[in-house]
Amino acid sequence: MGLLLSLWRLDPLAIAACIATAVVLVARRTELGPRSILLGSAVVVLVAALASPIGSLAEGYLFSAHMLQHLLLVLVVPPLALLGWPARRGERPAQTARRRLHPLVPWLLGVGAMWLWHEPKLCDAASSSPAVHRVQELSLLAMGTAFWWPVLAPRAGAPLSPLAGILYLFTACVACTLLGIVITFSPVEVCSVFAHPVDRLGVMPLVRDGWGLSPEKDQQVGGLLMWVPACLVYGVGIMGQLARLFAEHDVARQEEPS
Amino acid sequence: MKEPRGAYSWVATVDHKRIGVLYLLTSLFFFVVGGLEALVMRLQLARPNATLVGPDTFNQLFTMHGTTMIFLVVMPALVGFGNYFVPLMIGARDMAFPRLNAMSYWLLPFGGLLLHFSLVAGGAPSAGWFAYAPLTETPFSSTPGTDYWVLALLVLGIGSVSTAINFIATILTLRAPGMSMGRVPLFVWMTFITSILVVLALPVLNAAIVMLLVDRQLDAHFFLASGGGNAVLWQHFFWTFGHPEVYILALPAFGMISEIIPVFSRKPIFGYEFVAASTVAIAILSFGVWAHHMFAVGLGHTADVFFAAGSMLIAVPTGVKIFNWIATMWGGSIHFKTAMLFATAFLVEFVVGGLSGITFAAAPIDWQMTDTYYVVAHFHYVAFGGTAFALLGATYYWFPKMSGRRLSERLGKWNFWLMVVGFNTTFFVQHFLGILGMPRRVFTYPNLPMWGTLNLVSTCGAVMMGIASLLLVVNIGWSLRRGKRAGDNPWNAWTLEWATTSPPPHDNFRQVPPILGRRPLWDILNQAPGSSAAAKAPRPERSFDKGAVAVWTFVASEAGFFLILIAAYVFFNQFGARPAGPSAAGVLDVHKTGAFTICLLTSSFTLWVAEKNLHRKQPRAAAVWLALTLILGGIFIIGQGNEYIGLYQRGIGVATNLFATTFFTLTGFHGLHVTVGLFALALALGLAVSRDFSARAPSLLRAIGIYWHFVDVVWIAVFAIVYLWGIHS
Repeated sequence: MGLLLSLWRLDPLAIAACIATAVVLVARRTELGPRSILLGSAVVVLVAALASPIGSLAEGYLFSAHMLQHLLLVLVVPPLALLGWPARRGERPAQTARRRLHPLVPWLLGVGAMWLWHEPKLCDAASSSPAVHRVQELSLLAMGTAFWWPVLAPRAGAPLSPLAGILYLFTACVACTLLGIVITFSPVEVCSVFAHPVDRLGVMPLVRDGWGLSPEKDQQVGGLLMWVPACLVYGVGIMGQLARLFAEHDVARQEEPS
Repeated sequence: MKEPRGAYSWVATVDHKRIGVLYLLTSLFFFVVGGLEALVMRLQLARPNATLVGPDTFNQLFTMHGTTMIFLVVMPALVGFGNYFVPLMIGARDMAFPRLNAMSYWLLPFGGLLLHFSLVAGGAPSAGWFAYAPLTETPFSSTPGTDYWVLALLVLGIGSVSTAINFIATILTLRAPGMSMGRVPLFVWMTFITSILVVLALPVLNAAIVMLLVDRQLDAHFFLASGGGNAVLWQHFFWTFGHPEVYILALPAFGMISEIIPVFSRKPIFGYEFVAASTVAIAILSFGVWAHHMFAVGLGHTADVFFAAGSMLIAVPTGVKIFNWIATMWGGSIHFKTAMLFATAFLVEFVVGGLSGITFAAAPIDWQMTDTYYVVAHFHYVAFGGTAFALLGATYYWFPKMSGRRLSERLGKWNFWLMVVGFNTTFFVQHFLGILGMPRRVFTYPNLPMWGTLNLVSTCGAVMMGIASLLLVVNIGWSLRRGKRAGDNPWNAWTLEWATTSPPPHDNFRQVPPILGRRPLWDILNQAPGSSAAAKAPRPERSFDKGAVAVWTFVASEAGFFLILIAAYVFFNQFGARPAGPSAAGVLDVHKTGAFTICLLTSSFTLWVAEKNLHRKQPRAAAVWLALTLILGGIFIIGQGNEYIGLYQRGIGVATNLFATTFFTLTGFHGLHVTVGLFALALALGLAVSRDFSARAPSLLRAIGIYWHFVDVVWIAVFAIVYLWGIHS
């Protein structure tokens, strides 16, 4: 346990995110409410992904920790932050005059976030070099935000209609599941770095013997994380789109006869 | 429009109501066939060491029983009710594509005939409804039964997918004004979601059985370990289809229950949104948990844990539905007509089946119970106690609308009680038999303590169910002639199908009533005079073009098909030990094929230009570009043919090794699709040259265009994986 505690670290990106959020909350004089709680939880998850043992182990020790970090950065932090972003006081709903990007672009960014960084060479580079790893983290956050923007844009009137939003999320879920399946059943290592970690932190005995995670099992857990729980996140998103669909049609609700 | 009469008018009909009735009658016929098969099995199992039928006949019986009940009874019955009532419920005059609808129906008797033709062609299939490899491979099943099974399922699968496309297009494009997706009856919602599942899941089965056919007919080894194949791969493919299939069989039944319970409780459904949304959740989860059918295969602890958790999650949205139905009944004034009795029994039996299902989600219990009668009990509680009871309830509920007469309530009550008691007698004891260790799919058993008694009880129950089914047939026959006249709305229900006559006229509605909410008929009764209907209608939804919806849905299903073929290629060539013998790196010429690839991709561009020209009313230029597209596509096909000939000359055929098998299957099916596309393009060109190319041409060409671009996109994937990745890695 003590060993795990020692894996917490001061991560500049996490600290920056905390400060930035605090500044935004103060500057916009946000009251404590569902929105600020969502934004707060986005920061908590971000800190967990970067500064907790998940973050330390993701850098070349455990593929499954890397996958968890990856999924948190793409699928959890951006939607929470978008949902919780405080509205500027007196802000009007954005007019739809500006030409919008075709939703295929953010879709490709979101799916690309999953596939691109699991290309073996890129994956190895990100897991062995701290600099590349930082680039990976930032790009995942950016691509995740781009992906969730069309369905969760913090301004009124998200561009995608609910049915289109469902299609958008469902197809992304399929693409993500496919990668999960490939990683789970692949007999080849996706990132060879994780097969032979350089154990500077001295955690590998705990991981290999204490947790019983062999490299093969580790990769399997990673693949399954992407396959099953990731799909649930998209599923929750789809439920949100359905809620929008029904809310739109509830306007004309009739008195029920008894 | 006058209703045509006579037997031929039924054969030639494209009316969704008649096609619905045809589906239901066909389903009833096969229900009798499949039921008799089950009765023979139960009679054989009534006593230990019985010899009524031998082991081989018994294997054929349970295989045919399972296949018949799933593909020829339950799916057609659900489609039949959907066909009849979805257009009525949304205020449409017919399905989106009436002729496609007729084709889908006629594929059903044709598929059924193919399946049963095996009986005279050397023996019915005998490897179980999930046809596990390698048992289904030629060395172990030498009769042509399995081949007929494959062909029948292909035919039925094509029919199911085309119906599903039709349903999706109908529901998305033909809703009456005011009938938004937030207002359609829940049966329509369920049919919509089921259709999406069919479009995505059936192609997986089609791809898998095509591979099985290649194995059997062309001596390949997809699933045969002796040639490097993998039998577990069959299980993955089959259950990728098979688990969503469970929901394909269950969701429309949920929809029927969601119509029946509110009407006979005199209360609106509790939590409409939750019933609809939980269905979507079930549909999504259903694709992610197929491996729980394979706990006993040995996927490893890690995988088991995830799939056990995922499977248990399905209990949440399903439970939400059960609570919604109970809450609907709560405090209502419940009228226990036969339809409502069946709906209530559905709730009880489905919960029992659901609970035994959750026990299976725990891998260790599954290891203990797998392939025992506990499994048989579980899925019969879901499929019969769930789906079939809902179907029976729906029959009693909707028969008055279809025939103009009510089914006899007195016979109905007898039918219900015999069925419920018979069903539970048959299947509840099978839980105990399973726990005692009796394996399923054995033609007889030794005289162990309790086994004989429990089996005898089960057989007695099956006989009761047989009598109950007979009563249903008698009731239908009697009520068609002598039943009480129904009137337009015998149950005082509120969905649109009750707003027209019973049976409805050919065009369904003289005038579709205004739709102001989820219960249009109640709204009409309760509408305050003078209130403005327009003010309350929601803003109109974006309307879709039915042709575009159909083509995109078709493309989605084709994508599923190719995905499985690609998965098989990647699995055998890129993962682990590569097959000995020829390989992509050894025999493929990436430059030559690259040149042909450029031709194919260019053809996408030329077709796009042709479309643009047609759009700008320049049919002549469009025809030229169309011809160019045809030539480029033709060059690609010639190139592929040339490549094939080269490979054959080097002695490489489908059966050479797994590289050759997967390569020829994948590229062959792609080539087939290109060829089909070429025919479609030639047809469009012919129209362009021969006559006025303006009226229907743009939408026709756009449909062909979407298909053609899709085929090109598939080729990009195939080229990247087979030629680029395969050669350089």
